[in-house]
Amino acid sequence: MLTILKSEWFKLRKSNIIGILLVGPLIGLGAGIGADIAEAAGMMNEWYMLLIYMNLPYAVLFLPLVTGVLASLVCRYEHQAGGWKQLLALPVTRGKVFAAKYVLILLLVLFIQLFYLAAIVGAGLYKGVADPFPAAIIWKSILGGWVAAFPLVAMQLWMSVWFKSFAAPFAVNVVFTLPSILAMNSEKVGPYYPWAQPFAMMYPATENGDIFFIPWEQLMTVIGGFFLLFYLGGYFYFQRKAV
Amino acid sequence: MEYIVKTENLSKHFGQEKAVSGLEMKIPKGEIYGFLGPNGAGKTTTIRMLLGLMKPTSGRIEIFQNDLKQERLNILRRVGSLVESPSYYPHLTAKENLEALRKIVGVPKQRIDEVLEIVRLTAAGDKKVKGFSLGMKQRLGIAASLLNNPELLILDEPTNGLDPSGIIEIRNLIKSLPSECGMTVLISSHLLSEIDQMATTVGIVTKGKMIFQDSIEAMRMFAQQSVLLKVSESDKAWRTLLGRGMKAGLDNGIISLPEQSDENVAETVRGLVADGFSVYRVEEERRSLEDIFLQMTREEQAG
Repeated sequence: MLTILKSEWFKLRKSNIIGILLVGPLIGLGAGIGADIAEAAGMMNEWYMLLIYMNLPYAVLFLPLVTGVLASLVCRYEHQAGGWKQLLALPVTRGKVFAAKYVLILLLVLFIQLFYLAAIVGAGLYKGVADPFPAAIIWKSILGGWVAAFPLVAMQLWMSVWFKSFAAPFAVNVVFTLPSILAMNSEKVGPYYPWAQPFAMMYPATENGDIFFIPWEQLMTVIGGFFLLFYLGGYFYFQRKAV
Repeated sequence: MEYIVKTENLSKHFGQEKAVSGLEMKIPKGEIYGFLGPNGAGKTTTIRMLLGLMKPTSGRIEIFQNDLKQERLNILRRVGSLVESPSYYPHLTAKENLEALRKIVGVPKQRIDEVLEIVRLTAAGDKKVKGFSLGMKQRLGIAASLLNNPELLILDEPTNGLDPSGIIEIRNLIKSLPSECGMTVLISSHLLSEIDQMATTVGIVTKGKMIFQDSIEAMRMFAQQSVLLKVSESDKAWRTLLGRGMKAGLDNGIISLPEQSDENVAETVRGLVADGFSVYRVEEERRSLEDIFLQMTREEQAG
């Protein structure tokens, strides 16, 4: 499993990945720098305000979309010129190949989240935010967004293994991501819509005693449940796929 | 006999279409097995099943005397393969392509240079594969299949896209593998001449069925010779020969004598000359393997 992961990273490293990792945090940085956080002065920690402004484009749109791009990337070079048949004729199981690709995307998303953290700090310093840096809250937001991406990554990997083209999985992703703008405003649908979870998990709330910003039940059922559904869907599809 | 590959009643159906049906393949150790058949006969489908890339509809596959279903990983560790068109990662160089595979098969790094040397691709090792010609990609594919020092090498149409000198090189390489590395080789091809020059054992498949499987010598036995005579007044000459109770055929003014000993041919010619016919040409017709193949296919269809 580790050897497959190393091989996957080796293959991916040589395709221009760094740019894709940086796009999102840069969008967040732009949103942060452009944000008007002065109105919050005195009322709440300005860092929260900054985070909320930055999260809007980043967590609602960019993070869900980039999971799809990354998933397509790790499958693209297999689709291009018979990579699947060469890889799967090696002494590897399909389950492990699927898992390795999944883990690789998760690690990349984690990197993106860390870059985003740097973007938050950068935007704050640029703005000259004087309030104390709420490290615990912001880490919760960063890691929460990462965990919220688990089911989305699984779904996108499934689509990317399935479709040879780059566009098809991306289209699926956009179709599911855009409604999250509506879903997150709905108290009924919002908590259950997987694509709305990154925003919910990254939205800084006051201490609620839970580890993340959404209730445990929601984390376990919605994020955990959809993760299982999408991961197993992709896994079983890949098991049967003729290459 | 020790069989490296043995299939029992192997079948693969795609809906109504029977791509492979009831295939019994037996590959003895140390042989170069030529897997021969026209395009679409089921060769690649069979090879995919041997590598576990595709699940058989029914039947059983044994490789190294182990069931493929149960021992897939242990078997694949000892198998090298090149399936259909060469597989590669276009954004990587030749060396990087091999490195990505090497990380999984776990052989020492120097093996990459060794296999590149074997297929004479050392000079292009640091070039991106997307710029390679088909022949170079094919060589890279063969290099990749040799990476893990396999005991069984499966090459699907290995000389596809190679130029004549490349074909000879690869042919010599494949021929040397059983004796030098103790490998057993399975090569598929739709070209009889190709198989004829490399294989020691032949399996012929058409429409998913094995119609012949034996040594290459046994196959050549089908290539019975006949002697062709071009004479004046061929029609009359032919009737004269038949009148003497000889077996002879007439086709386009050419008389053919099946399976004749030297004496018989001499006798026949002497007889024709004595009867006043002019003998223009006496030729030996060696039936090409192509003809044999067509005949086998036809017999299969008739039966």
